[in-house]
Amino acid sequence: MDKATSLIAILMWLPVIAAVLCYIVHSYAFRNILVWLTGITLATVSVMLFATGPFDYQPSVIWNGMVEAADFVLMVLILYLGIKNRHKLIINLTLIQIAVLIYFDFFMGPHTAVNPIFVIDNLALVMSLIINIVGSLICIYGVRYIAEHEEHHPVNKTRQPRFMFWLVIFLGAMNGIVFSNDLMWLYFFWEMTTLCSYELIGHNLDKEAIDNACRALWMNMAGGVAFALALVLLALSMPGQPLALRTLLASPGGATGTILLAVALLVLAGFTKSAQMPFQNWLLGAMVAPTPVSALLHSSTMVKAGVYLIVRMAPAYQGTYISNLVAVAGAFTFMMTSILAVTQSNAKRVLAYSTIANLGLIIACAGINTPVAISAAIALIIFHAVSKGLLFLSTGVIEHNIGSRDIEDMGGLVDRMPVTTMIVAIGVLSMFLPPFGMLMGKWAAIEASTQLPLVALMFVAASAVTALFWIKWLGRLLEGEPGLAHKKPEHLAPHYWVSLGGLALGAVIMGVMVLPIMNKVVIPAVKASHQNAGLIVQGASIAAETSRTIIGSFTPWPLFAVLAVVILAFWLLFKPGKATVKPIYLCGENTGALNSVRYLSTADQEVQSSLSNYYFAGYLKESKLNEFGNVIAIIVLVILLLGVKVL
Amino acid sequence: MRELVIILLVLLGAPLLGGFLTGADRVITARMQGRVGPPVLQPFYDFFKLLGKERFLINQRQVFWVIGYLVLVITSLVMLCMGRDLLIIVFVMAFAAICFVLGGFSTRSPYSHIGSHRELLQMLAYEPVLILLAIGVFMQNKSFLVKDIWTRPEPLLFSLPLVFIAVLIILTIKMRKSPFDLSTCHHAHQEIIQGITIEYSGPYLAIIELTHWYELVLVLGLVVLFWAQPIWMGLILAAIAFFIELVIDNICARMTWSWMLKVTWTAGILLCVLNLGANLF
Repeated sequence: MDKATSLIAILMWLPVIAAVLCYIVHSYAFRNILVWLTGITLATVSVMLFATGPFDYQPSVIWNGMVEAADFVLMVLILYLGIKNRHKLIINLTLIQIAVLIYFDFFMGPHTAVNPIFVIDNLALVMSLIINIVGSLICIYGVRYIAEHEEHHPVNKTRQPRFMFWLVIFLGAMNGIVFSNDLMWLYFFWEMTTLCSYELIGHNLDKEAIDNACRALWMNMAGGVAFALALVLLALSMPGQPLALRTLLASPGGATGTILLAVALLVLAGFTKSAQMPFQNWLLGAMVAPTPVSALLHSSTMVKAGVYLIVRMAPAYQGTYISNLVAVAGAFTFMMTSILAVTQSNAKRVLAYSTIANLGLIIACAGINTPVAISAAIALIIFHAVSKGLLFLSTGVIEHNIGSRDIEDMGGLVDRMPVTTMIVAIGVLSMFLPPFGMLMGKWAAIEASTQLPLVALMFVAASAVTALFWIKWLGRLLEGEPGLAHKKPEHLAPHYWVSLGGLALGAVIMGVMVLPIMNKVVIPAVKASHQNAGLIVQGASIAAETSRTIIGSFTPWPLFAVLAVVILAFWLLFKPGKATVKPIYLCGENTGALNSVRYLSTADQEVQSSLSNYYFAGYLKESKLNEFGNVIAIIVLVILLLGVKVL
Repeated sequence: MRELVIILLVLLGAPLLGGFLTGADRVITARMQGRVGPPVLQPFYDFFKLLGKERFLINQRQVFWVIGYLVLVITSLVMLCMGRDLLIIVFVMAFAAICFVLGGFSTRSPYSHIGSHRELLQMLAYEPVLILLAIGVFMQNKSFLVKDIWTRPEPLLFSLPLVFIAVLIILTIKMRKSPFDLSTCHHAHQEIIQGITIEYSGPYLAIIELTHWYELVLVLGLVVLFWAQPIWMGLILAAIAFFIELVIDNICARMTWSWMLKVTWTAGILLCVLNLGANLF
């Protein structure tokens, strides 16, 4: 085996081996070392693989049969889960898939063998960097978190080994998804992530956990049915041709008839996995799981598999009606879930809605389908993984410390947990403000959207709402007591320091290094499928280019310099010695100590002032908004599937 | 070199202009109300007096965010004068406003929290129109760069008249004038005391005043974009817009934030959409 293939083997097999070892050996010390080593190895190997550059890899043909068999094993396993939970929908969806698979494998004759089975192009390399670096940091965090989790929620028999088993093996399945060229293999890994997420969401075994795990399972199995049907349709309409992504993408914009319907079905599968409206509820329900699960599902795995598939297939539906519908559906989800996030006081639900919103933005970019938009989509996938992973992990640390994930309980956290609060602040600001990477993506997305006015309008609305839900949360964290003394940093386990610190540093450094990232990572990935990248690096700027004219440009370094000036100016000019600390003004005489929020009101009655965020309960109702959103989204999906005949 | 001149000009010139305009505002407003009003230079006297005051504060983060507010407003003004990407300028302005909001959130004062929430709602109200302005400019110029507006021979006002009206609505919010002076103002004393700025005093309040001067020049600069060639026509346009805002301020009462959102998200966005839609055909 040459170097590149051994790297691939490590990325796909190491998670499996490590996961099995985690499961067998019941020792925290062993598991701890194992996960650290696995994480470090995976991250290093993915960087080495990236340095090697794109290549094709054809494993032994024996594996083809193994994957076909594994598909059935997987389906039977899921069928068993459906029966165990007495969940009719899961059982039916699984039976349909089994029937489709049997038809596909045994009644459609031998399929043309795909060669190569793995195509590692620049887009796959980018995805593998995200999965193996961000994913590994989350696993390292997870090994510690789940140990603490069992202290908070005691169980008779420790469930840590199985938790780490599913968490680590998830990375292997994700690597499989992004490396596969053979659609049968892609399908296998796709269903594998569905199973992993079911097991992880249901980890706590209480009723809520199991219900939500079942919901995640049936929604993703619905996507699986769409995927399986797409396979059959492709086999029918491309007889004699191998069922591979490369074949599908060979003639850009050339998909018609049945192939187009198959593409639409694959897009639908991507929507379910990325929790786009009307499938958003499974991801929100996934919040019951321990935090590393949410972090993994939301940032580097699961949902990114969905957007990966949609972005990957963008050339196949370019210029067709599907493209515009994908843009509208994505932008609609972006807008609706941003508004929904405003109504939430549960920090993890705010994060969940914002994830769905950002995925919507990425999908809308894929639908806009110009080089600028595709560049924006890939950049957003990268930067979102880091910032969102960071925010989830910090919320988990906060939850373990204060015993709540409610924003209203996080008031003044900056005094109690200054380090974590600072990290959350970095995460929040890097999600939507210049000069960070996410903003660069959003900027490019808006500039690309001008050709689709409806999409542009929804972007505008969503973009305006974004600031509201982020800042009102951050504001509560940052409200502080009177006093100039520096607060003692809280104690954080080394696992948390590495994962939180690593991601926070990553978010900032990747923002500063956005030019090389565009040059070395994003632009090559776009060029894997497009002639030019749309976004080009010009001197110190990133310029958006359509038909060879520059339409906009963004220069990050002066803005970073400005932020440095702010920090320096504060550090140099602000002399705490010269200022006097006063209590807050409460419109009545303050009572108690300096940090008291009590005051004398009418008739010398002592009153305690209290703070609360705006949630607009009188204006926005979560259930109503969801209902409305689902109806529109379902209409769009119906048009997506029936459009082949009608449009 | 040219960049350096622009930066220096903005740093030194804008506060003089902004302070003077604020003084003029107070005189004109007084005359409208049948009063004499303070001298035109009163804002400068106030500013230097504030600088010399004793330093009271709650905690140091208040100061950090206020410095961020000042520096980012200056940055967006510099970017506007340098002709950078209009969309990025709008986002930097948003960051500046967010610093101001976080300054209000830094203490446990209920009044500054209400102010901060309202400022966020004001951002929610004006942000769509500003982005739609950028998109409207793009549809005319095929470029988001402000420098391509400066060289455009025909005024944008003729092709974006409805967007201009929407920008005037936004201007009322950005200039913190009635009916939209919700988050912090001198007049809302019974209601929210001073809103966001309640816990600021002395030199820290002086920084906020200074930032408001820069911000005033910045938003009037956006008006100038509508008649960029010749530039003096743009300046006249900005002066007219400034006067209209003062009239509106004096004939309106403060409204609620929900009313503000309704106006901007219906009338404001609709005006932009109608204008851009008509330009498409």
